[in-house]
Amino acid sequence: MKFNEAVVFKWVVIVGIAAATVIGLTLLTRPLVGALWGLVLVIAGCVYGYRWTRQWWRDLKDRPGGPDHSV
Amino acid sequence: MESASVPLPGGGGKAAEAHHHGPPEANQSSRIDRQTLGILLFIISEVMLFGAFFASYFFLRVVVNPASWPPKPFELPVGIAGMNTAILVSSSFTIHYALEAIRKGNRQGMKLGLVLTWLLGLTFLFVQINEYVHLGFSARTEAFGTIFYSLTGLHGAHVFVGLMLLTFATIRAFRGHFDKNPDKHFGVEIPGIYWHFIDIMWIIVFATVYIL
Repeated sequence: MKFNEAVVFKWVVIVGIAAATVIGLTLLTRPLVGALWGLVLVIAGCVYGYRWTRQWWRDLKDRPGGPDHSV
Repeated sequence: MESASVPLPGGGGKAAEAHHHGPPEANQSSRIDRQTLGILLFIISEVMLFGAFFASYFFLRVVVNPASWPPKPFELPVGIAGMNTAILVSSSFTIHYALEAIRKGNRQGMKLGLVLTWLLGLTFLFVQINEYVHLGFSARTEAFGTIFYSLTGLHGAHVFVGLMLLTFATIRAFRGHFDKNPDKHFGVEIPGIYWHFIDIMWIIVFATVYIL
């Protein structure tokens, strides 16, 4: 699991596209609709972030020299 | 006897220093380097800081629920802020270009990318300051003014810090400090990650404050 500039750049593009959908919905309908869609995206992002963090931490503990590493 | 490993008082420690070894190297994960872990933890703390400001914003907007948002007769310059958003998003592409260039050993490309990013960041900051001057309301204009200037000002301060980091990276790039070895361009990689974070935060600030 990598964390570097290229990964973060990918997230700039993802967040940009997500924000564009929120802005589009808001302008086409009502601010409330855009806000609710934004809330859905934020919750999805939080779930993804939580799972990413758990996997990252699991990988980190299992590294050579880590507390859970087995030879 | 291992007496040479103990530094001796009174200047007799030459031989002792030759045998003295410092503390062992700090343990480091093989999956992530210190610098990247440091910026990751820093960004997590920054997300919490912005989260507190967004919580205040939504409290004022949703719970307090004033009659009009922004209060009449004020209006936010959505067009100018949108153009500023495009400028900042472009700067993420240019810093990514700089990183891709140095990964391939192209120093000229890296310098070009860094200079363009710096100029775009400076333009963003200049446009935002100009916007503040012409808004017509201040941070003391109701709760709206306070939270507007707090959120956008907090972000502006981060852009300023990012510009400082980019300044150092650009100066170092022109002095030939970086090459394509991943361990030899942390000085661009870490400001690059920070700059992307600033960009992501602005996209969220813009969508929340100016559009919703």
